[in-house]
Amino acid sequence: MSKPSNLIQGTLDLLILRTIQLEPKHGWAIAKRIEQVSEDVLQVTQGALYPALHRLEQQGWVRASWHKTETGREAKFYALTRAGRAQLEKELAQWERLSRAVGLVIVQ
Amino acid sequence: MKLRRGWDIARLRLRSLARRQRVEEDLNKELRFHLDQQLAENLAAGMPPDEARRAALRRLGGVTQIQEECRDMRRADHIETSWRDLRYALRSLHKSPGFTAVILLTLALSIGANSAIFSVIDGVLLRPLPYPNADRIVRVFFHSATYPRFPLNPFDFRDFRARNRSFESLAGFTRGDLQLSGSGQPERFTGFQVTAGFFQVLGLHPARGREFTANNEIPGNQQQVVLSDRLWRYRFASDPNIVGRKITLDSQPFTVVGVMPPGTEHPGNEYNGVAHGKTVDIWWPFAFRGDPAHRGSHYLEAIGRLKKGVTSRQAQAEMNTLIAQLAREHPGALDGWQPLVIPLYQEIVGPSRRLLLVLLGAVGLVLLIACANAANLLLARASARQREMAVRTALGAGRARLVRQMLTESLLIALLGGVCAVAIAVAGVRALVALLPAGFPRADTIHVNAAVFGFTLLVALATGVLFGLAPALQAARSDVQNTLRAGGRGAGSNRGHLRLRSALVVGEVSLACLLLIGAGLMLRSFVNLLRADPGFRAEHLLTASLTLPDAAYKPLDAVRFYGRLTANLDSVAGIRAAGVGSDLPWTGSDDNISGWNIEGRKPAANEEFHARYHLASPGYFRAMGIPLIEGRFFTEGDDMKVPLKLIVNRSMARCYWPQGDALGKRITFEDHPKETDWMTIVGIVGDVKDKPDSPAAEMALWWPVAQSPVGLGAMAVVVRGRSDPALLANDLRQAVRQLDPTLAVANIRPMDDIADANVSTPRFALFLVALFAGLALALAAIGIYGVISYAVSQRTREFGLRMALGAQAGDVRRLVLRQGVKLALLGVALGLVGALALGRVLWSLLYQVRPADPVTFTAVAALAIAVAALACYLPARRATAVDPANALRAE
Repeated sequence: MSKPSNLIQGTLDLLILRTIQLEPKHGWAIAKRIEQVSEDVLQVTQGALYPALHRLEQQGWVRASWHKTETGREAKFYALTRAGRAQLEKELAQWERLSRAVGLVIVQ
Repeated sequence: MKLRRGWDIARLRLRSLARRQRVEEDLNKELRFHLDQQLAENLAAGMPPDEARRAALRRLGGVTQIQEECRDMRRADHIETSWRDLRYALRSLHKSPGFTAVILLTLALSIGANSAIFSVIDGVLLRPLPYPNADRIVRVFFHSATYPRFPLNPFDFRDFRARNRSFESLAGFTRGDLQLSGSGQPERFTGFQVTAGFFQVLGLHPARGREFTANNEIPGNQQQVVLSDRLWRYRFASDPNIVGRKITLDSQPFTVVGVMPPGTEHPGNEYNGVAHGKTVDIWWPFAFRGDPAHRGSHYLEAIGRLKKGVTSRQAQAEMNTLIAQLAREHPGALDGWQPLVIPLYQEIVGPSRRLLLVLLGAVGLVLLIACANAANLLLARASARQREMAVRTALGAGRARLVRQMLTESLLIALLGGVCAVAIAVAGVRALVALLPAGFPRADTIHVNAAVFGFTLLVALATGVLFGLAPALQAARSDVQNTLRAGGRGAGSNRGHLRLRSALVVGEVSLACLLLIGAGLMLRSFVNLLRADPGFRAEHLLTASLTLPDAAYKPLDAVRFYGRLTANLDSVAGIRAAGVGSDLPWTGSDDNISGWNIEGRKPAANEEFHARYHLASPGYFRAMGIPLIEGRFFTEGDDMKVPLKLIVNRSMARCYWPQGDALGKRITFEDHPKETDWMTIVGIVGDVKDKPDSPAAEMALWWPVAQSPVGLGAMAVVVRGRSDPALLANDLRQAVRQLDPTLAVANIRPMDDIADANVSTPRFALFLVALFAGLALALAAIGIYGVISYAVSQRTREFGLRMALGAQAGDVRRLVLRQGVKLALLGVALGLVGALALGRVLWSLLYQVRPADPVTFTAVAALAIAVAALACYLPARRATAVDPANALRAE
């Protein structure tokens, strides 16, 4: 079972939602984007990524549809739904609270 | 937004369920794309193709695992899990057909019985009456200290109708059968005389023509008739021009003014036999005859439709003030009478309500017992499956997951049971309707319909949860390590199992006792009823009803007719006695007369002499088998040429002449009697109660038919033979035809049938409660058997050890029996206490039995314990068959 042990539980959801906030992306692009932006600190394995995407879809936060990529191949693109947008805000707020709390504890 | 999201989720879940293939392909395509991208990246980084592919695959990880996890994510939806649980449950039921059969049979029988009784309740109690806005229809009665419900005097009724403000409309009706002659056999039809607007009160309109108007209430304007749909079709061949046609009824020309639509139900009549439903075929006008100042006779039934927003209580209050007004205007006429306004629904179904609710309670108890049994069976199975559960827990199944799996199983069982139950209910309802007591209200509205299906489904679901929950929780609570280590026989949790199962059995036994006591009380009551002396002899007695049309028979002609008829019948071989009377016992006749005077006695203040009145020919009492106690029966000589005669029953003689000197005493109806107004008591006859279960006989008097001060209406003819009375029917018809071929002989039936119809309600209740009690006892016995068997299997080693140490087979057997009987005793004790507490419910259904009847209680306790001991005997014998060596080795 390849749970994202290097990510705090639930954080992967937040990362995915945030990554597709501006525009729909396919799974590969999402993983790449997270890696690039985190300067290769956060490596999202496929084993974690796709189940997470499917879960988000089942919960109605994201909607998936097949589109052509710039190279002309069919890929499954994930887009935020309105409910997903609300969820992202909620999770962002939660994350900020958590990271601030962790920061406080560490800095003391 | 929420809606949109909900829709999305539902769509996706449906998709992952229904289009599994497609979803899987999508996932593969998605993963392949990912792989290709990785490959492209690797190639771009300058790797050789082979290595690039291998690195990409390595990076991707186990495809199957990803697929499985994605599947898992989709299965966050419950449908697929349920489906899997369901298939698993079906498989495991299929694997143990014996268990499945027993539990399904138990549930199907008990749920089916519940559905059948519910069908009756739905048809009789829950379905609205077949009139528009039926909740606004009420019956209006008089009542007094002696008579709970009494008809109105027509003039009182007319005043109420004119003065009230509570009713939209108010109408009266009274029984008035009519004889149709003309084409074909003369035939008598159940009819009612009704005031204007009678159908308007019910909210019904004739399908053809019109109903009666105020004009019809004037004497002389009565020769009009409204027919039932049935009569119109069957006697008049659905004649489309029937309205306006003249027909001959009671030898008089009547004009048909209307035909009621099919399904028209007459709203019942408490007195002179219940005429409710579709049995009424003719309605004709009621006319107000006589002097409005004379208000002594009460025979008009009243029914009204309340104005919108007026309650029956408000109507009652208004009637109270109106009757006070009338009492002032007619001093003395209304003394002791109070009006009584009762919703029609209550009036029609009221008497059956308690019986039905008791039956529902009884059958509900059976269902509870069945639940306990099912839970018990499931627990037994759960202990057999403990190892399976432990393994599943060890492999990561959560407790909630296991509970859910178990509940799915019990719900599946319950639903399957429910399906079988519907079949049982359909058959059961047919049987129930056939068994229903004579004259049961609304019997024809009892059907298995959507409501019954809904009820069955609900009961099945509730049952499934009820009997599944305890075993499910128990199973999920089991201790994995111990169970696995003990090879499936963890001792600790089994003790908990046994305790739970024992508690269930105690509950079952106590509920079964409750039902047995109910059945026992009803049986005792029924036996009392059958044993009680009816006061007449029903065997070999044929009864029939005759009406001589007023138009063809003057009173003296009628008297002469009946005299000749009985004389002719007497001369027929095979007839021992024949007579004519105003009515028959146990047919609801309760014509009362009051306000008469006893010679030489002044009634005390507030005392009014009253009694039931009847007519009798000389042969009536002998034919009926009513014994003479003192004096003589009437003779042919008791006619208008001699002083008036009277026969009273024992109750009346004792009440008014407690010294036992009633014979020869005289009474009169006149306040200032002439010598010829006095009636002399010439005979005292035995008591006959109104109904077999009436607490006591009413006071009653008889006039000779030949001296009748009242008109001869429909008369009862009674003929006593030497054997099967049905054989006399032809002789009777023949004798009537000889005298007048235009007369219809109606209601030919043996007195046995009438007597039987009178005990049909308690017999019905007894039969069903006994059936339920038997079922309950059998279920409880199965429950005890199961628990004791289980306990024996658990204690095999102990028994082996005991026998190895020298215990005899008898000792071991006693040990097992003691365990079972202890449970039974506890159950019986609880059941008896419960029965004492619930006795009040049965009170009104019992006849001369106390709800705390010691005989019944003792018998039931003994029976329950005996059955329990029997149920323990088999496992006890098995316990003694244990081979000590084997038992010890087995562990």
